[in-house]
Amino acid sequence: MPPYAIEINELRKVYPGVVAVDGVSMSIPAGECFGLLGPNGAGKTTLIRILTTLIKPTSGSAAVGGYDVVRESARVREIIGVIPQAMTSDLDLTGFEILDIHARFFGMKKKERAGRIAELLHLVGLQDRAGDLVATYSGGMRRRLEIARGLVHKPSILILDEPTIGLDPQSRHVVWDLLEKFMATDLLTILLTTHYMEEAESLCDKVAIIDYGKIVALDTVDGLKKQIPEKDVVELTVSGYDLQAAASSVRTINNVTSCALTGDTLIVSADNGAEIIPVLVDALKRLGALVRRVTLKEQTLEDVFIHFTGRPIREEEAKKVSFLLGAGVPTKLSR
Amino acid sequence: MNRFLAIFERDVRKFVRNPIVVMVSILMPLVYLVIIGNSMQGELKRLPIALVDMDKGPEAIRLTALVRTIESSTGSIRLFETPDESLAMQGVRDGLYKAALVIPPGFSRDISRRSAAQAGLFLDNAETVSSATIQSALAKAFAGFGAETVKIRNERAGLAIEMRPIELYPKFDYDQTLIPGVVIMAIFLGAMMTGAFNLVMDRFLGVDESYLLTPLTKRDIVMGLVASGLIITTIIAVIVLFFSSLISGLRLWELLSPGSAALTLVVIILSTLGLQGMMFIIMGRINHPRIVGVLGGFLNVIFFFTSGAVYPVESFPPWLRSFASVNPESYSVHALRALLFKGAGFSAVGGDIIFLASFSVVTVAVGIMLFKRTL
Repeated sequence: MPPYAIEINELRKVYPGVVAVDGVSMSIPAGECFGLLGPNGAGKTTLIRILTTLIKPTSGSAAVGGYDVVRESARVREIIGVIPQAMTSDLDLTGFEILDIHARFFGMKKKERAGRIAELLHLVGLQDRAGDLVATYSGGMRRRLEIARGLVHKPSILILDEPTIGLDPQSRHVVWDLLEKFMATDLLTILLTTHYMEEAESLCDKVAIIDYGKIVALDTVDGLKKQIPEKDVVELTVSGYDLQAAASSVRTINNVTSCALTGDTLIVSADNGAEIIPVLVDALKRLGALVRRVTLKEQTLEDVFIHFTGRPIREEEAKKVSFLLGAGVPTKLSR
Repeated sequence: MNRFLAIFERDVRKFVRNPIVVMVSILMPLVYLVIIGNSMQGELKRLPIALVDMDKGPEAIRLTALVRTIESSTGSIRLFETPDESLAMQGVRDGLYKAALVIPPGFSRDISRRSAAQAGLFLDNAETVSSATIQSALAKAFAGFGAETVKIRNERAGLAIEMRPIELYPKFDYDQTLIPGVVIMAIFLGAMMTGAFNLVMDRFLGVDESYLLTPLTKRDIVMGLVASGLIITTIIAVIVLFFSSLISGLRLWELLSPGSAALTLVVIILSTLGLQGMMFIIMGRINHPRIVGVLGGFLNVIFFFTSGAVYPVESFPPWLRSFASVNPESYSVHALRALLFKGAGFSAVGGDIIFLASFSVVTVAVGIMLFKRTL
């Protein structure tokens, strides 16, 4: 495995009237979990489909596991495991059949398949339902099965496109736990796209924010938070002391960037709100003030996102529908 | 090989999990047999004709009697005596009668004077087939009439050429002769519903992404789907052949030698393979089942009716004959007819088999070439 599991260089994909991917360059080191964060229609799925050889780029190049996605697409498909955004398991097959047939697509031998499938079914908690038709599964179960399917041939790179979209919060947490388990046990590089901030924050070592087909920011989650001027905010409701004097002395505390006063509440901006709360409470106590209530508003990835893209992530854009073909057809045009 | 078999197994499993589709694909061609066999019988029957006798003379009565004889002997027409000419004409216009035969006043007088007597026949020529039948039926009556009235001495009567039809093969009922067409229709419907159609459905449901993301080659995917469609459709076609023979009373087990039974199976398999390949060319890039529905009805009609299954190819106009000459169903029907009814051997159907085999190789190869492995 080369040092970079995925290397993308000036990649562009142009559809008539739309630039879906607009000059993306980035590298993802082997063994890392990398998140691609962006609103619907930002170009995440197109980028993933180019990396998984389903779409040919207009220009630029990309290599997955050291293989070029256009010239060596067959080699790329051997080493990647992909969990597409839409549910793609056949409803007329059983869970076991889905995994077994998929493993055979990769030329796995019978003995090897049996062991791997049993192991994965156990991990995703479907061992008791493996003989049932997928049509009888819930959305969360079907997603877990598809994660197992993506891993059945022991890929070195796992690519997930919106793995928890449309799932209820409980199933979403189950999927996150699963991914963490796989990251811990297998030496996997993971690339996932999401528009759930919590997902990126809890899973990813590094995050790239993509908007209108361009990478607008790329760093660790903490690194990205540091890049924006907005800080964590601690609000303290205080009584029994001169509030003006309290505010002045709070401003002298290390890491506090500002302190304002509204009514009986001190509004403190700081780099790391959670760590500074005990320091603030101690200082006010020593002054003789009574702290009656403390709230912390931590800076989130959402703030980072709004900072870089100028809009919240869940804002939807109108989708284009073909005049001639109607809504049922052109999935390939949806970014 | 393992990968190709995996696609094959996936497809067959999915198909048999829809037993209703299996049943419908066997039942539909059999229903066709019953409906076509009873609606398009070789000769037309009971065509209603209005008869208006305005003469009432002896000759008019004699003509009426002759037409009555045609009515009772062939059953191709039914006479309705109508008192008034305008009523009869209205009846033809309204579709109540297919024609009106009007015997004008003075008809008997004209005949007794040996001058040209005329009776009027008003035909609903919007229905060409029935008007042709009526014309020929009445011509017989008129010929009989003429022969009685004008007594011509015919010295060469002894040399009159008489036509006596000699049937080369055992007699078959009309609906038995439809069996090759019914079998080929079962093959067409099977090819339409398996193979390439499953690809369209996978695309429509977005399921194709799951296998496009694997190392499967274009050949693995297309050949796997063709193979599963081939097995399923061949089984359906053989079942349909068996049941349509039972329904129409054709004793296959007496007619078919082991050799012609084997050749029948070869023809069925090659017809299926050829149509499967053709469907991959036609539907290879379609991603909505509704388009397949529209195409299916259209293609079935053009391929079925130009195959010679119901009407002989030789009677087509030249442009349609040239289409029939590339229609694989023509070759299948020709071969099946020879094998089932004439007990023919390879020499009679070799040409058909060679055409069907080459058609299959070409269409499957082109189908693989045209298959797009990207989204």
